[in-house]
Amino acid sequence: MKIVAVTACPTGIAHTYMAAARLEKVAKTLGYEIKVETQGAMGIENRLTENDIRQAKFAIFAVDIAVEERERFNGVKVIQVPLQEALKDPHSIFAKLQP
Amino acid sequence: MTQRASASLEFAFVCSLSAGLHARPASHLAEAANEFTSECFLTNLRTGSVASLKSVLAIISADVRQSDRCIVRISGADEQAAHATLLRFIEHVLPGFDVPLTVSAISGGGVLPRVLQIADVKCCIGSSVSSGIGQGKVMLLTGLTLPSALSERAIADRDLELGQIKRSIAAVRARIREKLAHSKSSTETAVLQADLAIASDVSLAQKLIEHVSQGKSAGRAVLEAGEFFINLLRRSDSDYIRERALDVEEICLQLLQEIYGVDFQAAPVELREPSVVVAETLAPQQLLGLDRRWLKALVLEHSGATSHAVVLARSLGIPTLVGVRNARLMLSPGQEVVVDAIRGFVVTQLSPAVQRFYEREQRTLALRQEYLPLQTTGPAITSDGRTVEVAANASSYEDLSLAFEHGADGIGLFRTEMAFLRRDHAPSEDEQFAIYSEAARVAHGRPVIIRTFDLGADKAAPYLNLPVEQNPFLGYRGVRIYAEHRELLQAQLRAILRASAFGNIQIMVPMISSLEQVVQFKMEISEAREDLARKRIAFRSDIRIGIMVEVPSAGFILDQLCAEVDFFSLGTNDLNQYFLAADRDNPKVTELSNVLHPGFLRFLKKIVQEIHDAGKWVGMCGEMAAEIRHLPLLVGLGLDEISLPAAGIPAVKSAISRLSAADCERALNEMMACREKAELEELLKQAQPSGSAQPLLSKELVLLGSESKNKEEAMQEIVDAFYIAGRTDDRRRLEEALWSREAGYSTGFGYGFAAPHCKTEAVTADTIGVLKLSRAIEWGSVDSEPVNMIILFAMREPHLANRHMQVFSKLARKLMNEEFRGHLLAIENAHDMATYLAQQLEISLH
Repeated sequence: MKIVAVTACPTGIAHTYMAAARLEKVAKTLGYEIKVETQGAMGIENRLTENDIRQAKFAIFAVDIAVEERERFNGVKVIQVPLQEALKDPHSIFAKLQP
Repeated sequence: MTQRASASLEFAFVCSLSAGLHARPASHLAEAANEFTSECFLTNLRTGSVASLKSVLAIISADVRQSDRCIVRISGADEQAAHATLLRFIEHVLPGFDVPLTVSAISGGGVLPRVLQIADVKCCIGSSVSSGIGQGKVMLLTGLTLPSALSERAIADRDLELGQIKRSIAAVRARIREKLAHSKSSTETAVLQADLAIASDVSLAQKLIEHVSQGKSAGRAVLEAGEFFINLLRRSDSDYIRERALDVEEICLQLLQEIYGVDFQAAPVELREPSVVVAETLAPQQLLGLDRRWLKALVLEHSGATSHAVVLARSLGIPTLVGVRNARLMLSPGQEVVVDAIRGFVVTQLSPAVQRFYEREQRTLALRQEYLPLQTTGPAITSDGRTVEVAANASSYEDLSLAFEHGADGIGLFRTEMAFLRRDHAPSEDEQFAIYSEAARVAHGRPVIIRTFDLGADKAAPYLNLPVEQNPFLGYRGVRIYAEHRELLQAQLRAILRASAFGNIQIMVPMISSLEQVVQFKMEISEAREDLARKRIAFRSDIRIGIMVEVPSAGFILDQLCAEVDFFSLGTNDLNQYFLAADRDNPKVTELSNVLHPGFLRFLKKIVQEIHDAGKWVGMCGEMAAEIRHLPLLVGLGLDEISLPAAGIPAVKSAISRLSAADCERALNEMMACREKAELEELLKQAQPSGSAQPLLSKELVLLGSESKNKEEAMQEIVDAFYIAGRTDDRRRLEEALWSREAGYSTGFGYGFAAPHCKTEAVTADTIGVLKLSRAIEWGSVDSEPVNMIILFAMREPHLANRHMQVFSKLARKLMNEEFRGHLLAIENAHDMATYLAQQLEISLH
């Protein structure tokens, strides 16, 4: 199963990237294919393309601020959690992914 | 409630006033009692103290508080009338005096470092005028001392002394009445009335007469009576009553002045242990009379930052706070306190947490003193051997000490406008002299270029009556207003010339656009010189005179100007906006007002060239010099000096040593020929020096084996390490930035790690700090586990342009990797830690 995700926090120096790394790692152990876009101090990195989003079954938003270019995700099932969740208990986020 | 007693009338009452029977009702009560010849006494049943109702001081000293039961006894010829009047007064008039107690304990939440905030310390707040930290026992310096020469004089005639006491009391009362007649506000009237009541107090008069009768001099009688009542009042728990001690002191001081004359020299106070001297205000000779070995700090209630004593305290390096309200009441004699004249407060309870904080603080300050000069002393010399002076711009005393702390070779621009603004009259010559001579002293022979006042419609002082202008930058300002304000200019020039006797002071005049202005200005200087010479006041006769080059026309008459002045300083802000006809504050044209314009660079090159050809000196003090990326241009121009805000000096000095003057000249020539801005920017980028003065990570910022006991201490320890290494000058702002991020949610991300971070200009460069704790501490982490390892990210440069953002994000991602964390935990020394991190993050430690 393919998943896309966005991480973002207000300062965008540390947690955005920590959360991204954590989601990637846990997804891998669970056997998911994931691509995580970071919206941090450097702006959007590892940008999710239209294709990425179309192919994804779910979008995880681990964010403390509004997601940039949110309209790209119209029509995708979005699971939004506070960014801290991705560090605290990432498995529970993936557990929410029920088709 | 009243009843007839055997020899007197009496009645009981319960005090209903929330502040107790304080000075104001007491003075009215005494006034009422004094209408009668009968003796009137009050007994406070709670304390058992008995007081004459005719004495305000006695009533106040009886310490009658809310709900205290009291008895009033009256006996004498008119006791019936007195009884009726006093009973009516207490039952009907007294309740009208109820005033809520003002709480004078101040808590310094806003200014206290977190470590002290959580220790719940009590403190009194003030403004620091001489930085430092001092600990010692409180020594109250009262005005109540006898003249040194006369203190033990034997008295010749008891009646003479008695007469002097009576005359003094009468004179003091007359003076207060006189002031009362002219009082303009109800507050002032109330204060004067209370003063008058004390000056008229029968108990005070009785005590004075008693002392003289025992053979004491009038002066000593005042001193001892004063001390008696002051001690009595001070013992009260009520702030209001304790404040009356100051009133008594004031009246006694006035009596002493009546006896000995206004300016009598007080006897010196002897210090015998580490002491913090607390006073209302201090005369310079009083300060000089204190034993410097034991004087650890000064706390003054008076709020002036420019008084002579304050200037003196600074030059002696005594930590000093001013404007500490009610310091003489809040601080008790003999109490051990810490005066923090870095942050601006006095800590009054020295709990173990406070002691620990200040022990660390002393270490931090000592280390910064050792470390900072290593980085910054010595001239800045390019790799091919050209020396460039790096000076600081300053506008205040604080700027001066910061400048030299950061290794400034001099003060390239001392702005004098501050002393002229936000006040209703011009600063006096003496006031200015105090500032300028202080500058000369702090500079220790290094040059200080003082710019005469640059006032105009944008920087208006009300007493100048400057007209409102459509376009103040092209208007009546700088040298242009000097003809109309000659007296002001003369006073300033005299002050500067006088200060020149104490160091390497130079004069610079702003906004010169023509030769005539320079000639006129030099005539003004000659006049000030002659004036001082006539008065036999010392000054330096060969003082160097220079001009600001900020009006383009000056750049085209340099041959004429060089014949008249010794030096030039480029004021690039105005020069650029006049040159390009673009207002830098107008967003629509900011693009155009750019110092990186080939035409502007050519103009600068021409100016520097012509000045050097004439053998004169040229520096730059505008904002162009403050931006470090411009450095290759400035070195390429061949400037003798660049002057910028102090904080940037260490980085600039280091960068100069990594540049070659010849390369910079070549780069400048290429940039002057550029056709496009992008091309110019690219060339400038390539001309930047290699390496960095302040690499992202260095060994000094890796702290292993920390003994910090909690999150607050750990955060403080890293912030202190930044301060020691010159990564921040403003610890409070850095600390607040970190904590405000922490307020969102804890940066403890689990596994015993925390990654606090912030974006703030309180750091001088992007910096990573590492702290490894001996014992794990609580951090409020996501997994609720305590933390052993802290990696701190402090970012200064703007987000998108940040060169280090890639490194920060790489580090953040790596921290999610168990193996990486395991490595960090295993490393035992700072050097290895820095090396490992640098290698993992692919960055340089140099």
